[in-house]
Amino acid sequence: MKYALYPGCVMPTEQYAYELSIREVLPKLGVELVDLKGFSCCGGPLKSVNQMITLSLAARNIAIAEKEDLDIFAPCPICHLTLSEAKRILDSDPDMKERVNNYLKDEGLTYTGTSDIVHTVDLLHDVIGIDKIKKLVKTPLKDIKIASHYGCHTIRPSEIGRPDDSENPEKMDRILEVIGGKSEYYPEKLDCCGGLLNANLPESALTKTGQKLQRIQEQGFDLLVDVCPWGHRQFDAKQSKAGETVATKLEVPVFYLTQLLGLSFGISKEKLGLNLNLSPVEKISVGGK
Amino acid sequence: MGNRIGVFVCHCGINIAATVDVKKVAGYAKTLDNVVVAKDYKYMCSAGGAKLITESVNEYKLDSVVIACCSPRMHEHTFRGVVESAGVNAFNLEIANIREQCSWVHDDKARATEKAKILVRGAVSKARLLEPLQTSKIKVNSNALVVGAGIAGIQSALDLAEEGHKVYLVEKNPSIGGRMAQLDKTFPTLDCSGCILTPKMMEAAKHPNIELLTYSEVVSVEGSIGNYSVKVKKKARFVDMDKCTGCGDCVAACRLKGRISNEFDEGIGKRSAIYLPFPQAVPLKCVIDKNHCLMLTLGKCGTGPLCVDACEANAIDFKQKDEEVEIKVGAIVVATGYDLLDPTSLYEYGYAHSKDVITTMQMERLISTSGPTGGEILRPSNGEKPKSITYILCVGSRDETQCTWCCRIGCMSALKHAYLLKEKLGDNVELNICYTDIRSFGKGYEEFYHKIRGMNTNFFRGRPSEVHVSPDKITVDIFDTTTSKLFEIDTDLVVLVPAIVPRADADNLARILHISQGADGFFLEAHPKLRPVDTTTGGVFIAGCCQGPKDIQDSVAQASAAAARAANILSKKELESEPMISVVDEDLCSGCGTCISVCPYNAIEKVEGEGGKMLAKVNEALCMGCGACVASCPSGAMQQRGYKDKQMIPMIDEETS
Repeated sequence: MKYALYPGCVMPTEQYAYELSIREVLPKLGVELVDLKGFSCCGGPLKSVNQMITLSLAARNIAIAEKEDLDIFAPCPICHLTLSEAKRILDSDPDMKERVNNYLKDEGLTYTGTSDIVHTVDLLHDVIGIDKIKKLVKTPLKDIKIASHYGCHTIRPSEIGRPDDSENPEKMDRILEVIGGKSEYYPEKLDCCGGLLNANLPESALTKTGQKLQRIQEQGFDLLVDVCPWGHRQFDAKQSKAGETVATKLEVPVFYLTQLLGLSFGISKEKLGLNLNLSPVEKISVGGK
Repeated sequence: MGNRIGVFVCHCGINIAATVDVKKVAGYAKTLDNVVVAKDYKYMCSAGGAKLITESVNEYKLDSVVIACCSPRMHEHTFRGVVESAGVNAFNLEIANIREQCSWVHDDKARATEKAKILVRGAVSKARLLEPLQTSKIKVNSNALVVGAGIAGIQSALDLAEEGHKVYLVEKNPSIGGRMAQLDKTFPTLDCSGCILTPKMMEAAKHPNIELLTYSEVVSVEGSIGNYSVKVKKKARFVDMDKCTGCGDCVAACRLKGRISNEFDEGIGKRSAIYLPFPQAVPLKCVIDKNHCLMLTLGKCGTGPLCVDACEANAIDFKQKDEEVEIKVGAIVVATGYDLLDPTSLYEYGYAHSKDVITTMQMERLISTSGPTGGEILRPSNGEKPKSITYILCVGSRDETQCTWCCRIGCMSALKHAYLLKEKLGDNVELNICYTDIRSFGKGYEEFYHKIRGMNTNFFRGRPSEVHVSPDKITVDIFDTTTSKLFEIDTDLVVLVPAIVPRADADNLARILHISQGADGFFLEAHPKLRPVDTTTGGVFIAGCCQGPKDIQDSVAQASAAAARAANILSKKELESEPMISVVDEDLCSGCGTCISVCPYNAIEKVEGEGGKMLAKVNEALCMGCGACVASCPSGAMQQRGYKDKQMIPMIDEETS
């Protein structure tokens, strides 16, 4: 299995732990990650400004992977959505494809629609499969009660096809089960992380983060796991600040799914970038509390 | 050679004339070979049109008639009557559909007129070769079958029985009564459901013309209008119906008492493995659940089955087997009702996560005095009285991802509950109703809605985005579109009003009965306005919610309508059979049997002809004229009267040249 790793903007500029753990864990599962030259912004942040630019940027990134005959692995749900949405539009609208390809001509690129786009959740659950993951587990996460957070774009909008179900996402929970964790339902499971409110309503953003973490803490979860660099930034880096909005001292360890997988595979904390997590991840020692 | 043809072009008011130049079409028709007269008229289906056709037939000695008008589905029958009374064989009539297939779908008058001419030319070419056909008489069996004994089925059965027909009333559950038996009160009059239903159930059970076949299912239907042969499977009850007195001693004695989820109480209450469906069941006889009974699953029950010891009448018989009976009927009324959408799949409403999220039907059982709590409203999780109850309407209804249709009873059932809950729990109970639109369309419904609005209730217009279920509370998030505000309602009990969906086995029954289903899965009526209880299969009628969601009033009205339509057939001694059925050209038939394998009505058999040659033979009473055998015949030996190759091919040639 070979994928072009599409890093996006947040992961390589501040959420290094996600990238580190991906580069450790996926090769162990038989996935060769290829770095390609020339990837740009996915186009997502420009969508409210100019949709044509968004579409062209997304098509350009896909075309770079197509040139090397590679499928794309986009660990950021926003990148994944932007690229998937562009693919859906271009594959169903030949006129739009021609227009976009006109823009790409100067760089010698052409969008054809041959590359698949996957995210961490569907790559692990659907492509690699939980049986294969189970075989690699050395130190299971025994007796750890886990709250999972999927992030909005991992599951929505459902009509364009997302890595998991919009109302009842379960793939990440199944993965957590095979590595020994107890992933449990909680009523706030689908609640917003607040991340996308940062630009114009920073106070509200922190309140949303705080409310969700507070409820997770109250319900006795040992840790929170996520697969989105935006959500992780809120829950992990901004946790203590978010606690102020709900007048609570928050102490919820927050992990990337790939970090937990790595720990269960016996990979060292350092290689998985655990020293970069700002939440109290040291509370969790693999193999027991 | 060929027939003397008259062509009659209809204006259909402006329906045809606005888009097709009818005079030009009539003028063109006159130039065609064999056409001796061509006329146009404003409404050909009117008495004036009939007179025009009759006079022309006599004046020009016509022996074939072409009418260019609407679809043959609309008026072929009318015009057959007209030409027949004018002295021409009813089947020497050909319709050119220049309305649905021309004027209604085009707007360029010149080109539409050209198309109409082509359609008329094709019809004339076929009319030249039409042959007179004779109908034959078939005897009618005057018995009726009613499938499903809910309120609709019971009503149909009673109406038919009163007309003097023997009625077989088949019900798959152990008791008749259906959904209505589960209800406490009915809207908007708040009649006690049981009080108005039970007398009907008793009447159906006692009527000398009705034979109840409870705990039974239709497994096959053969034959056609007037003569159906139906196989019914009577499932083993493991209780002798003649001996059982319905005393219930066995139910109390059962080792599994209170351990099995009770379907009549929608899973809220518990029952034994041997049980009475409900206190007012008809017939009031016990039945053993073979999937749970220890004797029937494991072969032993402790030191011996306690029910057998308890039964003084010696009615229990573990050796009973399913049995199949065959009944002969002339017409069938299908009234199999509906299922409710299982809200488990709508995760956002929390049905899967909390016992305190229930459905309207479960609430109905809580309200009912014969229900699992004796009519007390208690939270299923802890048995406490709820202080706040929140209704969510349109759960899966009017939803593009689930059911696009309206359930037509959800609003009123929630309003009814609001009234009953205030009565039971006092005015202090908080009632929240989250609605999309309140559809109170029936007689007295709007007045009932106003009454509830005037009570101490909270109405939120919108669909909750999520029901959060925590161990300590339930919170409903709803954006109220009348105030443009987001509300988070803390509540004790959530009641979902789920969509009405076709029965899970509707596909199978449709296949057995050869009736159609709409895209939604409900049984399809022959015409939505003019033949609302007929199906496209002769002699099979539909009533109640199997045709689409409706309330009790409409179900009962439709049931009586279906009974009346069935009686139209059953009261006749003989029916005329359609002559447009298949015939075999024995010289061409090789006896290969391909036609036998494609015939959906089992109308063809293989027989030995002259000189030992094997031939296909069509049973004229069974053939429905569908044409499947004609299309499949490799040698062209199978032909359909009125649609023979030699008639169709010139028509196609004319229309495509």
